[in-house]
Amino acid sequence: MVELRTERRYQRGAPALKEYEMNKLARWGLTMPATIAVVLLLVIPVVLTIATTFGEAAGPFSTYTAFFKSGFRMAVLYRTLQVALITTGIALVVGFITAYVIAQMPGRLKSIMIVAAVFPLLTGVVVRSFAWLIILGKNGIINNALMSVGLIGEPLSMLYTQGSVIVAMVYLFVPLMILTLVGVLEGIPRDLIEAATSLGARPIPTFLQVILPLAAPGLIVGAVLVFTGSFTSYATPQLLGGEKQMMMGTFLYQRAMVTFDWVGASTIAAIMVIITIGVVLIMSRMARRLNPMAV
Amino acid sequence: MTVSLTIENLSAHYGTTQVLKDLSISVAAGELVSLLGSSGCGKTTTLRLVAGFLQPTSGRIRLGDRDLTTLPAHARDIGLVFQNYALFPHLTVLDNVAFGLKQRGLAKTDRTKRAMAMLERVGLAPLADRLPAALSGGQKQRVALARALVIEPPLLMFDEPLSNLDAKLRIDMRVEIRQLQRANGTTSLYVTHDQEEAFSISDRVAIMNAGRILQLDTPEVLYQKPASAFVARFVGFENLIPMKVVERQAATVTAEAAGGTRLHLSQDLFGPIKDDFILACRADGLAVRREGEGIPAVLGTRTYLGRAYQYKCKTAAGEITANGPLSDPLDAGAQAVLTPLPEQCCILDPED
Repeated sequence: MVELRTERRYQRGAPALKEYEMNKLARWGLTMPATIAVVLLLVIPVVLTIATTFGEAAGPFSTYTAFFKSGFRMAVLYRTLQVALITTGIALVVGFITAYVIAQMPGRLKSIMIVAAVFPLLTGVVVRSFAWLIILGKNGIINNALMSVGLIGEPLSMLYTQGSVIVAMVYLFVPLMILTLVGVLEGIPRDLIEAATSLGARPIPTFLQVILPLAAPGLIVGAVLVFTGSFTSYATPQLLGGEKQMMMGTFLYQRAMVTFDWVGASTIAAIMVIITIGVVLIMSRMARRLNPMAV
Repeated sequence: MTVSLTIENLSAHYGTTQVLKDLSISVAAGELVSLLGSSGCGKTTTLRLVAGFLQPTSGRIRLGDRDLTTLPAHARDIGLVFQNYALFPHLTVLDNVAFGLKQRGLAKTDRTKRAMAMLERVGLAPLADRLPAALSGGQKQRVALARALVIEPPLLMFDEPLSNLDAKLRIDMRVEIRQLQRANGTTSLYVTHDQEEAFSISDRVAIMNAGRILQLDTPEVLYQKPASAFVARFVGFENLIPMKVVERQAATVTAEAAGGTRLHLSQDLFGPIKDDFILACRADGLAVRREGEGIPAVLGTRTYLGRAYQYKCKTAAGEITANGPLSDPLDAGAQAVLTPLPEQCCILDPED
């Protein structure tokens, strides 16, 4: 009886090993379609796009020197960086506070609040940018309200400013930040905060020395999401910034689709890719300094 | 700097449920008192109230001449050791231990020196630069202990500190905790659900149930003279036999259990016996004999315990567990008599 059982167990063990081998094959097989798609549709086009920028008659880096010498182009780059960094900064603060409050809530309310925070993501970027057009416009809600109360005599021009672009972008990206941070903050054990408190840490040192470092990985992921999103955004600066507030995204579109300067557009694209990668690297280094556990 | 902890008439509620009912306890300076009970008995709630993580609905908590009741948690100056260690994962072992000193505004060199000295004491100095993730469970618990001790708190509290460790390490660690606590003379409150752990480490143990302390005594008294049927069951009295006195003659009473079993009990040996009582006997407290005076029983399954044979016995008063001598193994189905041994039994009031 006993022998029979061990034999059966042995037989059950053997195919398990084979299954594992198959798994290895299957793993390759299953990741192949996605890998091929990414290489064909993303890696090759990006490489080709960037390659064209080095093929100019005036020298391989001529388009880049031209870009960095042009005051107008540098102003666009500077403005884009500024808007993206300010947006990221505001989104970090607003998102962190909101996420912190949500993370403390009891289960049911928490789910409702998360759904509420994420709800705007269900509509398109263009629709959400349009909403701000209605709010901030000459005949918009704010101007009408202020005029009817009599606080201002004539409508304020809030649209087509850097402020209007930033406001709309913060609104666009805060849900991403909240979503990222709620998960991270929920993952911080209550015991750690209690341990810090029992050791004499007041609320602010507890926040700075325990909560913030432990939330760092989430803050970085959120910041990267918001920065890359706002740095490369097109619809929002197009709708709310107009010609005066041209950013890299809108500038690239203009180069490619209005002046048909494909090499110029590719150069802009290459610079955007490099800056994005650079910022991501800087941010992850900052995270590691705050929390050596962070990736 | 040894002071006493006094808890007076403490009550606490979670929402509308009262989890702590008018609890009073005092821990003398340098004493280690355990709160022992199953989960939900209020032991952890008591600890969290003293730590300041919960607010009581009424009552007072005093540590020496300081009233802690309304003091914020960070100002209470209590060393806490958590069940899951609660080490800061982003800080090195040294920085974890120095954390409390940093909050007290000590200069970096001072706090490093003191933290290193503390790590030396728990034998972890060579691991000072590691992150907690690179430590074993026992090492983590030592770091947690060092972190709580280094601030030289007047009160140490332990929340089931050993329940995540394996059996052998648990015994080593509890000896170590006891030695450190004795050496520092720190007043300590220790929460656990493990009776052996509580009895081995404590000066006194409070057995808790449903938000109340049922009995607070030394382990010896609790083990030998439990004050109630609940405590008796908790400390391992397997047999609780309800009885009624039917006749009193001088110092001896004749009492009857369910099913008509009669026993003659001497009040000189068992202490005063009321008309209604419970005879509580450990398995060791009932001698299994082939004949004599006692509870007639039919023996059931025999188990070998190493020091004795244990029998599940059928009697008119219900099922009883008793241990018989190794010299005389009896078979299942044998007739025997179970005689209560006064030093291993006690007389309790009936349960409500």
